Amino acid sequence: MAKKNQINIFEESKPHESGKKHVNGQAIYTDDILEPEGTLYGAIGYIKESNALINKIDLTDVYKSEGVVSVVTEEDIPGINDVGPVFPGDPIFPSKKVEYSGQPLFAVAATSTELARKAVLKAKIKYKKIKSIISIKDALLKKSFLVKPKIISKGNASKSIRDSKNYLSGNFYTGSQEHFYLEGQISMTVPLEDGDFLVYTSTQHPSETQQILAKMLNQSSNTISVVVRRIGGGFGGKETQSFIFAAISTLLSYKTNLPVKLKIDRDDDIIITGKRHDFYSEYEVGFENDGKINGVKIKLASRCGFSPDLSLAINDRALFHIDNTYFIPNITVTNYLCKTNTASNTAFRGFGGPQGMMCIENIIENISSKLSIDPKIIRMVNFYKINKNNTTHYNMKIKDNIINELFNDLITSSNYNKRVEKIKKFNSENQYLKKGISITPVKFGISFTTTFLNQAGALVHIYTDGSVQINHGGIEMGQGTYTKISQIASNELGLPLDKIINTSTNTEKVPNTSASAASATTDLNGAAVLDAINKIKENINNYVKNKYKINTDNVMYINEKIIYQNKYFKFKDLIKEVYLNRYSLSSTGYYSTPKIFFDPKKFKGSPFYYFAYGAAVSEVLIDTLTGENKVLQVDILHDVGKSINKAIDIGQIEGGFIQGMGWLTMEEVLWNSDGQILTHSPSTYKIPSVSDMPKVFNVNIYKDGINIENAINRSKTTGEPPLMLAMSVFFAIKNAISSISEYKIYPKLDSPATPEKILTSINEIKEFNENTRF
Amino acid sequence: MTSDVIRFIHNDKIIEIKDSDPNETVLNYVREKYKKTGTKEGCAEGGCGACTIVVGTLNKNNIDYEAINSCIAFLPMINGKQLILVEDLAKDSKSLHPVQEAMYNFHGSQCGFCTPGFVMSLFAMFKNNYIYDDETIKDSISGNLCRCTGYNPIIKAAKSLNGKNKSDKFFKNKNLTINLLKRINNDNYNIDNNKRKFFSPKNISDLKKILKQYPNSDILNGGTDLSLRVTKERNNLNSIIYLGSIKELKYIKQNERFIEVGASTPLIKFEGIVKKFYPDFYKILKRYGSVQIRNVATISGNIATASPIGDTLPILLSLNANIVISDHKGNKIMPLNGFFINYRKTILKKGQFIKSVQIPFSKNNIFKAYKVSKRIDDDISSICGSFNINIKKNIIKEIFIAYGGMSATPKRALNCEKALLNNDFSKESFILAQKSLEKDFSPIDDVRASANYRKEIAKNLLLKCFLEIKNNKKIEING
Ligand SMILES: Cc1cc2nc3c(=O)[nH]c(=O)nc-3n(C[C@H](O)[C@H](O)[C@H](O)COP(=O)(O)OP(=O)(O)OC[C@H]3O[C@@H](n4cnc5c(N)ncnc54)[C@H](O)[C@@H]3O)c2cc1C
Ligand code: FES
Ligand code: FES
Repeated sequence: MAKKNQINIFEESKPHESGKKHVNGQAIYTDDILEPEGTLYGAIGYIKESNALINKIDLTDVYKSEGVVSVVTEEDIPGINDVGPVFPGDPIFPSKKVEYSGQPLFAVAATSTELARKAVLKAKIKYKKIKSIISIKDALLKKSFLVKPKIISKGNASKSIRDSKNYLSGNFYTGSQEHFYLEGQISMTVPLEDGDFLVYTSTQHPSETQQILAKMLNQSSNTISVVVRRIGGGFGGKETQSFIFAAISTLLSYKTNLPVKLKIDRDDDIIITGKRHDFYSEYEVGFENDGKINGVKIKLASRCGFSPDLSLAINDRALFHIDNTYFIPNITVTNYLCKTNTASNTAFRGFGGPQGMMCIENIIENISSKLSIDPKIIRMVNFYKINKNNTTHYNMKIKDNIINELFNDLITSSNYNKRVEKIKKFNSENQYLKKGISITPVKFGISFTTTFLNQAGALVHIYTDGSVQINHGGIEMGQGTYTKISQIASNELGLPLDKIINTSTNTEKVPNTSASAASATTDLNGAAVLDAINKIKENINNYVKNKYKINTDNVMYINEKIIYQNKYFKFKDLIKEVYLNRYSLSSTGYYSTPKIFFDPKKFKGSPFYYFAYGAAVSEVLIDTLTGENKVLQVDILHDVGKSINKAIDIGQIEGGFIQGMGWLTMEEVLWNSDGQILTHSPSTYKIPSVSDMPKVFNVNIYKDGINIENAINRSKTTGEPPLMLAMSVFFAIKNAISSISEYKIYPKLDSPATPEKILTSINEIKEFNENTRF
Repeated sequence: MTSDVIRFIHNDKIIEIKDSDPNETVLNYVREKYKKTGTKEGCAEGGCGACTIVVGTLNKNNIDYEAINSCIAFLPMINGKQLILVEDLAKDSKSLHPVQEAMYNFHGSQCGFCTPGFVMSLFAMFKNNYIYDDETIKDSISGNLCRCTGYNPIIKAAKSLNGKNKSDKFFKNKNLTINLLKRINNDNYNIDNNKRKFFSPKNISDLKKILKQYPNSDILNGGTDLSLRVTKERNNLNSIIYLGSIKELKYIKQNERFIEVGASTPLIKFEGIVKKFYPDFYKILKRYGSVQIRNVATISGNIATASPIGDTLPILLSLNANIVISDHKGNKIMPLNGFFINYRKTILKKGQFIKSVQIPFSKNNIFKAYKVSKRIDDDISSICGSFNINIKKNIIKEIFIAYGGMSATPKRALNCEKALLNNDFSKESFILAQKSLEKDFSPIDDVRASANYRKEIAKNLLLKCFLEIKNNKKIEING
């Protein structure tokens, strides 16, 4: 598939296919679609109770409210009242019991969004409160789990820890994270004839939206069409969490037989939808005097919220990445999926991987402090190697390991060693401001770990004038998949990009697609588009062979020409000819990732097609009087294989890094003890803004990168992996705090490292300093 | 003359709107009625910048281009102005404006949803400045959130504007626009439709009359606080009196003793003036909301909210500011200290308004102020501390300390002041004084910070103030 075709145009930094429309306001998002005459506007009603039995929902005043046309409750659902993606458990409207604060209970359609939103506030709901479980600790205590705790292991962790020269134990917490896609959740449903529906919705997963709506209405999937041109950011927050909104707009449309737009206000969006899982871990580790880990035992618990959603797969990915880049000969992890009375936590860039990695990186750092050896060395000692120590705890042999070289390159290019010394000097000369530095690696497995999802379809048309439409299951959400796939088609057909249009993702064109997730969108869908193009090329070849009796091996598509060994055609002319001679110029395409397999019961296999690698050095400055911090410099070296589009890849790396930095520093999701989320607007939930950018930000692509697997252009995806480069910021902050004890103590600090948490950690160290003075 | 028609200039045409709902935001109007959907809604509370538009305001024979959050501006607030949307920037449908071109070329968009807002913020920057250095760029886009790019390409795009030809379509049409603006700039605008009233007087005497007649109205200034009652709390404001068209309230004056700021002077105008006298005040203003917010928000609005986390309030308290309160009977000058009575409550009576704020100079004093928040830009302070000290021969001769975020209202730290007054300017005195802060305040836990953290930071800021003065060196991470 990656057979060398024509000149390689990939390395160019083509602008985003919608770039011009983004900047002049012409790009159409769901809310911008011109509404059909008579469209109604929806709003969702809920109560702010995290666990309550519903006695009565009195909607009299809601009906009477200005502009209200219709109201739907659980009773209006003709089919299945559940939008749970893999497992059931996510009712559209619960019938008896509210299980988290903000869970939708009913919805209205009114003549304007404003009136609908005012109306839902008028419901009178009688209920009985039940004690709720909010925190991970509480859930662990009360054994409130979604599924039985799962144990995975390799070797004998207990024994190896016992036999080790050194031992440490501790615990660690990484916080949740709100997606804060700039375009909030939104869906518009238009009724068609025969009870069919056309749904425009901001989702990463049109096919599953379609299936869920069909089940809700007790209809078959072929009666529902879902169309998505682009979404204003997803980051995992629209992989499943968009379903309920599509369901409600469709239910309102079903009941009124009118188009209904349901646009969710930012606060409601944050209140209703799930977020990144926060994780709590307890560990024991045994290691040698040089820092080599012999064994670890980890209890890994995550807050899943009230329903399964994707939590099982997310926790699995945390387990898959608990090694990060390290060979751990003996390991046991017990994984607890805590069921809590909070919104159902869900996919978020990295999908549990980052949380798993943070757990092991924290262990590494503690080992380093205990042995007084630079953490960089502890990391290198434990890295997977090429010919030995190259098999993961789930028994996958790593064949593409480049972390040793990449890490060394970055140490050199970032001047890490010198800077460590400089920082020590700075710290000894400054009492109140302290600097810290850290270098952390990333290894991220690419593929859906649920093997069957690793498939994609495409549809390609060449019209008689030589223009091309491509279509596939991928969603354009900013990651540039339409651009990259258009480049792939352009390259394969020898046509300029402006001859190719990537049309809206549409369940009518390509069925049964997988979510745009797991960083696999371009890999999968790009390959499917290639397959479709190759099938059309075969038709063209057949025609040429029959007509001109020439050899059709090694045909080249280049510069709008089709070149055979001893004859060439203008692309446009030959296409017309092929058409007139009755050969098909349209084809579907299909791709499924080879080589992967996994046995979930044993937790063994090769779930990933390849790994993406990277490393980052971060240097920070903290104010020990206030806990405020600033990232001074970041140096990134990241592996993208052979890039399809460098500008897009750099964009993903920078954006992913800043998002990860937000997760680990300022983004703090807070609930009160009743389970109400307190940080539900940009005034209380802070994502990084421009002043949080590192003062110096050096981002480089690893020059020797190449995908050893047969991915398009030997490229590697850049969707999720760069987020985890931000781990270096967090550990640099800890390094700065640690300097207060002259690096004798490793501070206790959970993520996110907000000024307040940093100051608390500083105080603990200061106390220790004082106590040890005597 | 009074008119009930909203008039503004759009694409060099006068647009007239009759019978509008004064609670309708510019954003909703533009998207839903005007069907211009380039302007996006990301939060409807001024916190993300996706809805940024630019309004052109006549300033003598010139036009000021102000980026504002259309999601929290009511439609009548653009009466008499030029409305500029992202769709309007390019000279024709085939070309892009230099700002758009730069964003496109530097890969400044990924999902693209934040992009129109950034384009508009950068457009205002492009029009109002000649050099686009790091500080100008960051300031200009500090009120725009992007979840995808991490800002780097946007900064690069902005930098590339240096040296670009500035004669865009707005430059070319300037005289025409100015003439149009002059034509629509005359009347008092009042609307009194069956449900809702909106008064926009042009002078103070009309304002007083209206206030007397409709004492239960809400006074609207920049609207960055008041509008949220509509967009967030889903309430109606049934009678509004808008101060923004009263030229007599837009001024900054200076004499030997004080600076006086008129009630509806936007903060952005004030920050430039105050920089010379109180650099720390300026620094905090730079972190106050965003350009979009400061283009409209006012000091008097900040004072009238009495909000415990109003950033200018502890500063004004420690600077011993006075306010001029006015109604149909006359003016009254009073110290700000004493104006706040409880959480979001002031002594202001119905029919009264704040006419101006007077900020004394204290040339012999040292002034320091600090804001601590989770994020540098556009964040509400966890705590804000302000210190105004006079030291003679190492004795503290005068000291005024005030904190925000430490109690139900911004408040002076009187016990702490007492502990320091007439004492040595020494670390010991300050360490002792830290303790008395406990008598001054008993803060609460909330989303932004815990009570303990607040207590501690209050103490540490006091210490920081001492250290900085003592060593004549700032302790700051953003230097
Ligand atoms: C995104 C965002 C960021 C913000 N960031 C900050 C920040 O960093 N720091 C901070 O302190 N605040 C911040 N605020 C709050 C807000 O900007 C301030 O409270 C602001 O100063 C209010 O001024 P305004 O002119 O917009 O007031 P308005 O909203 O017009 O009025 C506020 C209140 O004061 C009354 N009022 C206004 N003017 C007068 C007058 N002359 N006489 C009598 N009553 C009057 C009004 O009736 C109303 O009750 C932010 C707000 C937003 C939306
Ligand atoms: S929509 Fe977010 S600032 Fe207006
Ligand atoms: S490009 Fe997606 S939010 Fe900025």
